[in-house]
Amino acid sequence: MKLPAEWLKEYCDINITNEQIVTQLTMAGIECELLNEPDEVIDISLTPNRADCFSVLGVSRELAALNNMNFKSDQNTQTTIDHNDEIEIKIESPKDCPVLMVRIINDIDINATTPAVITKRLNSSGIQSVNIIVDITNYVMLETGQPLHAYDLRAIDSELIVRRGHNKENITLLDGSIKTVDQNFLLISDVAKALGIAGIMGGENSGIQTDTKNIVLESAYFNNETIMGKPRILNLHTESGLRFERGVDPSIQNHAIERASKLINEYSGGKNGPITNSTSISETPKRLPILLRKKRIHQILGITIPNNRIKEILTKLNMKIKEQDYGYSGWMVTPPLFRFDINQECDLIEELARLNGYDNIDEQNEHGEIKLNKTSVRSIKINHINNLMSGLGYSEVINYSFISPSMSMIQGENINTIDITNPLSIDMSIMRASLLPGLLNNLLHNLKRQHRAIKLFESGKVFKNLNTPKQETEMLAGIGYGLRMDEQWITKLKTINFYDIKGDLERLFSSLRINTSIQYDKSTHPMLCPGRTAEIILDGKTIGYIGELNPELSMDLELSEQPILFEMDKEVLKLPKKIIHDDQTYFPSSRRDISIIISEEQAISEIIKVINTLNIKELKNIIVFDVYKGENIETGRISIALGLIFQNKSRTLTDDEIDSNMSEITKRILSTFNIKLRKK
Amino acid sequence: MTTSLSDLLNDALNEIEECKTLNNLEKLRVKYLGKKGHITSQLKKLGSMKIDQKPSFGQEINKIKNQIEAKVKAKKIELKKSLITTNIATQSIDITLPGRKSLTGSIHPITTTLSDIENIFLNAGFLVEDGPEIEDEHHNFTALNIPENHPARAMHDTFYFDNNLLLRTHTSPIQIRSMEKQGVPIKIIAPGKVFRRDSDLTHIPMFHQIEGLVIDQGINFTHLKGILHEFINCFFELPMELRFRPSYFPFTEPSAEVDILSEDGKWLEILGCGMVHPKVLDLLELDSEKYTGYAFGMGVERLAMLKHEIKDIRLFYDNDLNFLEQFK
Repeated sequence: MKLPAEWLKEYCDINITNEQIVTQLTMAGIECELLNEPDEVIDISLTPNRADCFSVLGVSRELAALNNMNFKSDQNTQTTIDHNDEIEIKIESPKDCPVLMVRIINDIDINATTPAVITKRLNSSGIQSVNIIVDITNYVMLETGQPLHAYDLRAIDSELIVRRGHNKENITLLDGSIKTVDQNFLLISDVAKALGIAGIMGGENSGIQTDTKNIVLESAYFNNETIMGKPRILNLHTESGLRFERGVDPSIQNHAIERASKLINEYSGGKNGPITNSTSISETPKRLPILLRKKRIHQILGITIPNNRIKEILTKLNMKIKEQDYGYSGWMVTPPLFRFDINQECDLIEELARLNGYDNIDEQNEHGEIKLNKTSVRSIKINHINNLMSGLGYSEVINYSFISPSMSMIQGENINTIDITNPLSIDMSIMRASLLPGLLNNLLHNLKRQHRAIKLFESGKVFKNLNTPKQETEMLAGIGYGLRMDEQWITKLKTINFYDIKGDLERLFSSLRINTSIQYDKSTHPMLCPGRTAEIILDGKTIGYIGELNPELSMDLELSEQPILFEMDKEVLKLPKKIIHDDQTYFPSSRRDISIIISEEQAISEIIKVINTLNIKELKNIIVFDVYKGENIETGRISIALGLIFQNKSRTLTDDEIDSNMSEITKRILSTFNIKLRKK
Repeated sequence: MTTSLSDLLNDALNEIEECKTLNNLEKLRVKYLGKKGHITSQLKKLGSMKIDQKPSFGQEINKIKNQIEAKVKAKKIELKKSLITTNIATQSIDITLPGRKSLTGSIHPITTTLSDIENIFLNAGFLVEDGPEIEDEHHNFTALNIPENHPARAMHDTFYFDNNLLLRTHTSPIQIRSMEKQGVPIKIIAPGKVFRRDSDLTHIPMFHQIEGLVIDQGINFTHLKGILHEFINCFFELPMELRFRPSYFPFTEPSAEVDILSEDGKWLEILGCGMVHPKVLDLLELDSEKYTGYAFGMGVERLAMLKHEIKDIRLFYDNDLNFLEQFK
């Protein structure tokens, strides 16, 4: 809301600069800034609780309180009554509309020019001049906070009715839009048709026309709970709706209609009828006394405000005070009708803190027993994994959690994705079920920027199966593409392949001390290449996948190399338990190499597994140090070289012992698999 | 010493002295000291000698042998040293060529900022709590004193799913979940992603917040001011000037915004906070008369932008390596 600074000053005699006004209001919770366009205008962003400041009058009242000044609220608004024409009003539910005042003004001059002072102030506030009547109703709304509506008398058939909408009732509004309402909406209508949505916008043809002579002026208090949320549902945000849904002063309707009448008479002529007033005393909001306890003020604010200061602040804010035990224990405080935000003791305490100044509250440290916390496991795990991944050359990315339908498609067909009902755009309409589409996007983005060695990772949640308790899972995913290292003289350029990324994962698993519990099984995945994809299995449970991107996807994305991707459940990765030192002595180890020729189809891990099942105590490690295919090896077969390392904890092994172990191993694998020993 | 032996010795010593390479030296060693060398063949003569001649001849041969061995050893060291000297002179490398570089990764500045903030509060005795990103209306709004149709809901442009589920618009629902779980007293921070249906130059639909909540007996506004000022000083590693300004959040009363004074003299809003509204505790059936507390929430992107002088919030989510690698 923009208000000209000079208009504010008309209501209170403060002798401070506009900059000071802006600072004072901001520090009192009414955030604003000073604009120079071309006159000085104060642009106020009101928080939803301060409906009372939605007017020149409201802001001036606040300023007067802040400066301990008098507030000139009583302007002379007395008007004459020139005739007795009245329009009948009927309020179907007084709870929705506790106060309704209308008045017929005949013979106005619709072509009268709006005085410059009014158009200028309206313009400064961002409101266009329309005609003298609309300008005056807008002007009085800005001045008093009371939205007014003016009808052309000809448009009203017999009587003015305030009623709830019918189911699926259509109404065409002033701006030409057609809205469908229901029983939750409050309408103004006549016997034949709806004339407008109460408190939000008038209907087409019911308003002031270029040839209007006789008008009906309406000043109402609509229950803010009835209006609340309706502008949002209709997507119809008007000055009037904004004020009514937050709460208009329920005692100001008479002042506003008189003020508007007076201005209309002054600038547009017209003859006033009497004010037809329908006020339901029982439904009009009331403010009940609230108990304000001295000890509670201290309990919340931690400071002591002297009694007379408390009384001074509350009085300035138009509150009525009654002392309890002569002010010893506290006060009964009744806030003014226009303060919809003050309902409880804590609301009063905030007013005290606000007016006394937040600056006057000390800064203190909490006292109490010292508690030493263990660093959170969660933080240690995040740091551990992040540091390791970045050490392995991966840069961390963070992607939006929503993706486009085309990106969602590549996640696979049978995934139960979660759609956003009201997405910002179709490109951000589906919750990701995998981190991989985002990583592919990041890859493409960075390839365009000529990066040739790319390794990225992301930690974040993925979302599936809305109607189950487990909708979101924290995942860890990565992608490697292009060169293993940036181009440099000392190393030949080599491309990242499956085993580079698998090696990274092995290092991650080793650091978590689960590498020996991890197993890789050949598998398939919607985004990955058949035959080049593995399931990552931890203690018999699949926790993720690693593989080359499906070549069809690579082709679609116009990638010249094959990216390697992995994704796994991060929640199942646990930090290693306390490390127990293994008290070992180091006797020299011995190594024996063996070369075998196996079928291409044969998984090497199977052979190693069989060797391990022999449970040879001294066999410490098996290294695969060569894999060869080509010359001297028949087609369909490959040559594998294994290095077996033997070590005993208490002595050096003899050649005989090792030889006998080797022959046991050779015998076993030759009998288990279709393999041959390779002659040296 | 016989003439032949002394000649042998002199020849050997001279030849060794003249020798220029380690290779030749080895040949000389074999020539004199090898299995078929001159010294060895002299020793073989011992067998055919008379007993009384044996000791003196033997001694002489051994003496010569030792002398030659010593000479070979000395010459070897001399030649090696001279070789090293030659090598040093001829085999220097260009130490200005760059070293072998493996890829180095980086951690996203938002992650680093989150972890910096967490560490400061961990030191002050806070525990870290977590919560779901898909929330229900109750935890995101109602339990935080934001009933349906409340104008404050309009401040939060919300993404919805079916079944009244939504993407959390703030980390505050973690307050509620943590209190449901562990009651009070409580002292937690809760970091995480939040979502608002908003996108322009300065707004993005997903960002990060850290929420703080402390509830105990005797907690008041002075403690809120104290902890936040200390936090801000720690985070920016400078004593900062700041101001608390009244504001409005449905779940705190009194509420405040905290501004810091920037170098160019402008106040910059960096976080929202307040004393926990008694209604929030009442809704959880906790004793709001006995327990009081404060809550605060801050935007992590905003803090990271201030710290690293990043002007455009969208840079965080472009995931451009040129941007990310600055934070190695």
